[in-house]
Amino acid sequence: MVFPTVQFAVFFPIVLALSWALMSRQQIWKPFILAASYVFYSAASPTFCLLLAGVTLGNQAAAKLVHRTEDERRRRLIVGIAVALDLATLGVFKYYGFFAEETNALLDKAGLGLPLPLAAIALPVGISFIVFQAISYTVDVHRRLLPPAKTIDVALYLSFFPHLVAGPIVRAREFLPQLQGPRNPRQVAVGAGVALIVIGLVKKVAIADFLAREIVDPVFGVPQAYAAPDVLLASYAYAVQIFCDFSGYTDIAIGLALLMGFVFPQNFDRPYRALSFREFWRRWHMTLSRFLRDFLYIPLGGNRHGKLKQARNLMITMVLGGLWHGAAWGFVLWGFVHGAALVIENLFRGRISPPAWLKWVLTFHVVVLAWIPFRAPDLNLAGSFLGRLVEPGPATLWTVPVVAVVVLVIGLQLLPARPMDVLRVRFERLHPAALGASMAAVIVLVAATVSSQGVPPFIYFQF
Amino acid sequence: MTTTERDPFILDRPTGRRLRARDAVICVFVAAVLLVLLEGRSIRSSGDKMEPGVERTVVRAVGAPAGWLADQLPLADAVHSATAWLSPDAKLTGGAGSFQTPPAGVDAAASRAGGAAPITEEAFDAAALGEQPTRLAKLGTLLVTGDSLAQPLDVELARRLAGNGVRTIRDAHLGTGISKTDLVDWGQLSALQVRQRRPDAVVMFLGANEGFPLPAPGGRQLQCCGPAWAAQYATRARRMMETYRRRGAARVYWLTLPLPRDAARQQIARAVNAAILVAAQPFRAQVRVLDMTNLFTPGGRYRAAMPISGRNTIVRRPDGIHLNDAGARMAADAVIARLRGDFDSLR
Repeated sequence: MVFPTVQFAVFFPIVLALSWALMSRQQIWKPFILAASYVFYSAASPTFCLLLAGVTLGNQAAAKLVHRTEDERRRRLIVGIAVALDLATLGVFKYYGFFAEETNALLDKAGLGLPLPLAAIALPVGISFIVFQAISYTVDVHRRLLPPAKTIDVALYLSFFPHLVAGPIVRAREFLPQLQGPRNPRQVAVGAGVALIVIGLVKKVAIADFLAREIVDPVFGVPQAYAAPDVLLASYAYAVQIFCDFSGYTDIAIGLALLMGFVFPQNFDRPYRALSFREFWRRWHMTLSRFLRDFLYIPLGGNRHGKLKQARNLMITMVLGGLWHGAAWGFVLWGFVHGAALVIENLFRGRISPPAWLKWVLTFHVVVLAWIPFRAPDLNLAGSFLGRLVEPGPATLWTVPVVAVVVLVIGLQLLPARPMDVLRVRFERLHPAALGASMAAVIVLVAATVSSQGVPPFIYFQF
Repeated sequence: MTTTERDPFILDRPTGRRLRARDAVICVFVAAVLLVLLEGRSIRSSGDKMEPGVERTVVRAVGAPAGWLADQLPLADAVHSATAWLSPDAKLTGGAGSFQTPPAGVDAAASRAGGAAPITEEAFDAAALGEQPTRLAKLGTLLVTGDSLAQPLDVELARRLAGNGVRTIRDAHLGTGISKTDLVDWGQLSALQVRQRRPDAVVMFLGANEGFPLPAPGGRQLQCCGPAWAAQYATRARRMMETYRRRGAARVYWLTLPLPRDAARQQIARAVNAAILVAAQPFRAQVRVLDMTNLFTPGGRYRAAMPISGRNTIVRRPDGIHLNDAGARMAADAVIARLRGDFDSLR
């Protein structure tokens, strides 16, 4: 089920009302929310629910076992097996096809006729997010940061519908404590929740989908048909589209959770105002960068063993972070560019100090450049896209709305946060009925901009 | 230990005043009631458009009274008029050119005459008779259209023909079908596409969402997938072909459906394919039916992978319906081969 759909508009008010009605009776509330979350997930495919249940039970078994075991070597073995099984699940569904095709191509070149069997495997929605959260639970129990929770709590943690399919990647030790008792029905951040839902809807439907339709999809689909002006605008437009699409989803997810009394971590903080790549990753998909830092970069050694090893660790982390998005060389290249930028930045930190505007220009444009292989269907087309950046020709897709939206979204990130915050706080103070009416008004306006194709899925659903 | 202590930078505690849970429910229900009043019809039509299943049943159960309520009040019309300028689409249901209005052309003439339509030379593909087909000089504008099946074929064709000076218009309408007119009426859409774009050639790949009942004369509803349903489907498809071929000025490349994995969908696909073949009969001189059924599912058996350049390659998406990129490349090969036969500029 996708948030901006009629199905969800029917589903959520019912679930919200029943959730608060049952909140004081946790023994009923938990199975109810669990069932609602599985219904939400089964809209994609009922069979995926079995996978979700399997990941839940497998990690819960590992967490309980690791908690009971005293011997450190055995504890490591158990957690190693659990994480390997989680990653294997991810690998089969997400990377098997890519791996089999690339291996077969290599075998073919070597003249070896031992091809791996091919299969068209459906990618379960949100599998990457589910697996990462499962790993976070098991590893945190292993690190003794968290005792094993009740099975129903773990099931709820992994399946809670606001964050189920595209994050934010909520850590077990952020979510599970919130399940220890009923949420306080007198402390609900209604205004903040509605504000986030409204902002998220506008970002996704009115901005991201508009840019995709008007410029990004045509130009990235057939870059050969366009010259430099259109290709240049399309690359900025994609940077805006992916930000609005993904942060829009996150805003809605966090807003829905707030209405239900839960707090999720922040995932975006005006990333395009970053003056360095280090800062960019503290502002972009913050829950992923935090996960990669805690579960990959630091275990690899982090910055503890000199510049060279730190550079190696950064490259491994970022390339694997790229690969997390999907099985394609474009994602690997995207991760490589970010890794290389972080390494270069590290090398020159403290040695040169360019002015802030130059830092912004460099950071922003390398980020935009790295989005090109990320978005392009393959590396050939990414190359073709880049080649067209120097091809003179007319600007056929420059319209006032497209340029205005691109400039506005990037410009708003550069402005100080305070004026926007003041507006948001004023909105949050409205009477609940006025908040509801505002939400309805925005939904009606946003729905009017939807094409007959309907609302396209969020970009991060495919990851 | 809470995460607030460990990751202060990331856990953003919500701002603003705290209200009661009851206020959250009131807020959401006020929004829901207003949406029912203003968008009740959309809720009803969304349910009608959905694939059969529990979700559809629930949405229709809500949509029926919501739609009724919206019908009784003038609010929905007022809001739709006020927001119509925001819509990126032309209105594509009902109205002129719609399947609901009587057709013009060959079929109408035949029905007026009360007998069979005369067979013209346009019913024959000259190439099939060993003669040189009438070739067109230049492929300037190619329209690639249909439903989700048309993607990623449309992008593949656009890329490969970009070097030949061809302007490819990609106009896929996801979730639509000839047998369902509530979202898009293809009779009307095809007329609009031709009027606005005047394509020299049209590639049509449509049929992933078919199988809906079709209205028959006398108000009956024909259920898929018998001869009566196929005949009605063919009538609609023929009308579109007539529109797209622009009285012989354009060429149409209508792709049949590769059989889907699901047996129930296979039955629909067979009926659609049979209807396409019959529909194209009067216009064989301009309408090419490209056989994707035998290309991707030879012998009527579904397969996800097939040999391409000596290597077994997956050609279908995991849903067992659509073509993936490799499949689209194969389909594009077939289309381009036929385009080359019809247009001098591609030789």
